[in-house]
Amino acid sequence: MFDNITIRMDKKNQLELSITKDGIMSVLSFLKNKGYDHLHVISCVDWIDDKQLELVYILSAYMKQDVPGETEQLNILLKTRIGRDDPKYITSIALFPAAEPYEREIHEMFGVDFQGHPRLTPLLLERDYDIPPFRKDFDTKQYVDNVFGSVPSVEGEDDS
Amino acid sequence: MDRNQLKKWFQNPVKMAHKYSLHVVYFCTGCGIIEIPPSITARWDAERFGIIPVATPRQASLFIIAGYVSLKTLRSIIRTYEQMPEPKFTVSLGSCPINGGMYHDSYNTIKHLEKYIPVDGMIAGCMPRPEAIFVGVTHLWTLIDKDMADGYKRYRSNYSAYRANQEKILGKLEWPPLFPIHGEE
Repeated sequence: MFDNITIRMDKKNQLELSITKDGIMSVLSFLKNKGYDHLHVISCVDWIDDKQLELVYILSAYMKQDVPGETEQLNILLKTRIGRDDPKYITSIALFPAAEPYEREIHEMFGVDFQGHPRLTPLLLERDYDIPPFRKDFDTKQYVDNVFGSVPSVEGEDDS
Repeated sequence: MDRNQLKKWFQNPVKMAHKYSLHVVYFCTGCGIIEIPPSITARWDAERFGIIPVATPRQASLFIIAGYVSLKTLRSIIRTYEQMPEPKFTVSLGSCPINGGMYHDSYNTIKHLEKYIPVDGMIAGCMPRPEAIFVGVTHLWTLIDKDMADGYKRYRSNYSAYRANQEKILGKLEWPPLFPIHGEE
């Protein structure tokens, strides 16, 4: 049913699934139907050397009784990689409405365009950034020197 | 009462009243809020010094900015400061408003607060203890006595430069200028 899926279980309560980017929606809906209906967070990792962005969906059952036969809470990490240049992906709001703020945040911090998202407006930031600030090639020190360092001192002008 | 104090009361009663009834509006971000409740409640009772927290900036005369200032909070800080009636004094708490502190290379935290609004006193520390707030306030009394806590006057006279700095960081501000802006300074 699922192609190219890598399964790892390094820790006791943590299942790691790596999939290609086409398969993630079917895996998400499969897991949701199995009882893992609680989306904790969507996070993003910038693998700059591989020229890829990794999206991580963290799921678990809201209560362990939701999954038959489960005795302990199991966290499922669902990983997929998308291209780093002009990253596009589809939204998962239809499955998990809680994905909306996370996708907005990833859109403004990493520049991933979630297609089908109703409003990808800025969530946390005030300014426009040329490079989204959480990407690895965003040089914070240089940015601070350029933007905040260039603001002149008012009192200094007053004294001289 | 000290005789010198009595003399000051007769010479300039308005200034003494300002000095001993500082009504404070707090702007607390992050760790700054931790230091404020002990300082205004029984342990370090700030009302000994005439410092009393008020509900809105329109009733306040002292503005304490505690903690780091991000771009969104800078917008609110400017709005709060402009709503306060004169005379108004600003004291910043912690090292973040002075030069960024531990956020010196953050993309979203402003580094020098005094470039955007006038600051009368800065209490350094990360975070300063509540005693440091009172040391700062008693120092502010001295400044008020000597007419050196003149941040609101500097804001009025240098308003064009302050507004230019604010717009440089925040983009176009959606509220009208508080004072008339001169074409060139």
